[in-house]
Amino acid sequence: MARQYEEVTVRGYDEFMKAVSQRKGKDVFAYFSGSKNEQGISWCPDCVKAEPIVRGELGYLPPGSVFIYCQVGERSYWKDPNNEFKKTLKLSGVPTLLRYGTPQKLVEEECFKKDLVRMMFTED
Amino acid sequence: MAALCKWRHRLKPAVFFQNAARRQLSDKHDYDLLVIGGGSGGLACSKEAAQFGKKVAVLDYVESSPKGTKWGLGGTCVNVGCIPKKLMHQAALLGGAVKDAQKYGWRIPSPITHDWLTMAPAVQDYIRSLNWGHRVQLQDKKVKYLNLKGSLMDGHTVRAVSETGKESVFTAGNIVIATGGRPKYPTHIPGSLEYGISSDDIFWLKESPGKTLVVGASYVALECAGFLTGIGLDTSVMVRSIPLRGFDQQIACLVTDYMGSYGTKFHWKCSPSKVEKLETGRLLVSWTDLDSGKEDQDTFDTVLWAVGRTPETRALSLEKVGVKMNRETGKIIVSADEATSVPNIYAIGDIAEGRPELTPTAIQAGKLLARRLFGKSSKLMDYDCVPTTVFTPLEYGSVGLSEEEAVRRHGEDGIEVFHAFYKPLEFTVAERDASQCYIKMVCLREGAQRILGFHFTGPNAGEVTQGFALAIKCGATYTQLMATVGIHPTSAEEIIKLHITKRSGLDPTVTGC
Repeated sequence: MARQYEEVTVRGYDEFMKAVSQRKGKDVFAYFSGSKNEQGISWCPDCVKAEPIVRGELGYLPPGSVFIYCQVGERSYWKDPNNEFKKTLKLSGVPTLLRYGTPQKLVEEECFKKDLVRMMFTED
Repeated sequence: MAALCKWRHRLKPAVFFQNAARRQLSDKHDYDLLVIGGGSGGLACSKEAAQFGKKVAVLDYVESSPKGTKWGLGGTCVNVGCIPKKLMHQAALLGGAVKDAQKYGWRIPSPITHDWLTMAPAVQDYIRSLNWGHRVQLQDKKVKYLNLKGSLMDGHTVRAVSETGKESVFTAGNIVIATGGRPKYPTHIPGSLEYGISSDDIFWLKESPGKTLVVGASYVALECAGFLTGIGLDTSVMVRSIPLRGFDQQIACLVTDYMGSYGTKFHWKCSPSKVEKLETGRLLVSWTDLDSGKEDQDTFDTVLWAVGRTPETRALSLEKVGVKMNRETGKIIVSADEATSVPNIYAIGDIAEGRPELTPTAIQAGKLLARRLFGKSSKLMDYDCVPTTVFTPLEYGSVGLSEEEAVRRHGEDGIEVFHAFYKPLEFTVAERDASQCYIKMVCLREGAQRILGFHFTGPNAGEVTQGFALAIKCGATYTQLMATVGIHPTSAEEIIKLHITKRSGLDPTVTGC
């Protein structure tokens, strides 16, 4: 069954920006998570909790949109207030789910609420 | 006679059963509360009601302005009022600060220019983040948000229409009307609708408004003209009679004097007669000098109408349902508890007759109403001594009575007016003219001299005034003011130091430390 949206997985800021620039004009949704270790578990407990909730709502993404799953890096990188995600993308915490180029954003515990996630995916 | 009495007794049980049936029906309403209007008042009321576990819905719908401007959830304040206004006012103030900075030693390349295309999108982006924030809040508090245009069908029923014309019907135990107002267009002036814009449009323009004529002398007119002048645009204001009607007139003139000395052009006692579009795309405005009868003309890039606001009641079907409105203003008549003439229908915010057209009063009234409806509270909104600030280039903060109103109520002999012209310390090195920086305290003449009205013009007037609003609410007197110590060096301390009365005739100019 063909998905209505494109899913892209990236690691780090440069890869993220590259993926975005290659998809100009598209409706891009991005989910930022603390990076996962070899066992596939993130150092960020909220990210671990939010991911299945966000993934559960992906079916509501508008057709033709893009979902970028971005692992931001290790905990020490994230804690540095000058990392590119914080400085340039103005992220304040992980997990963050946002709609690129719009003020639509859900941060930390907001990502636990599936109705908020669904609202972002279905809102104009 | 006896037969009539018997008949009346027989009627009573029937009425009793009817009421019981109605009570049962009310349990089956779609919502406990349905709010029409998602602005300051509507959102506050709906969120508060939801806290009590009630089923609440908000219908918000923005009819585009004649120019085609539309916006998201949040009402006038968020989208086309307080928020963008204050941000653009700040942009203008920063321009002045950058010029002052040079006197303080900063090496700044001249001339300094302003780019609308940097400011406007930044302001608009912030507004969109507020729209989103409200969406998240409503969802979070379990308030149903519907982007539909609501109108009344009866005391418990609302008809809602979508942008595409799809209709739905909702019933509610209680209905709150909070649809606010929209700018008035002087449609009797040819070209006004086709070529002019309003405050609904100015903040959303994709390009700089350029050389602008602001028609009106309300705070909307003066604040807009103020920031447009401040960002370097050729700006004129056309006033039919007096500035800031309803405000203390002595202060209103200080405000406009300051604007005049900082570059805003004023056409006093003039009224536009027509607006035409030239081949160049610019607008030719013709007007009459009301004193001399002379006609004059000039070209502008933008004409901004700021001649008043009209309540959004046309599409509500109020008359059909029996909600009484004030014939002159068109606003909904409400009692002290915000109730309209129809049971279970309430009105708050700009739409309600006799209420201040301010966000904080709408919010507070909305919250208190929700608490009275669902929270067993009986506390009514207190509309007395509401502080305000006009964010003109020289800001004007006030709380309580104007001098004129105090004289009307207590007589000239019944009041004592303390006043002072002062110079903010920051103006000194910057070599800024402070001729209009002024403070006035209107007090009762007798006894401890309770403060009736507070008026302050100067930088950060809103911040200065807020604390005094509390003092006046507590019934502060001039005696208490005298016993209060000022903070030095500030402009606000000059309020504490007021001692010259108008009655004495002495020069009220403050000198040094």
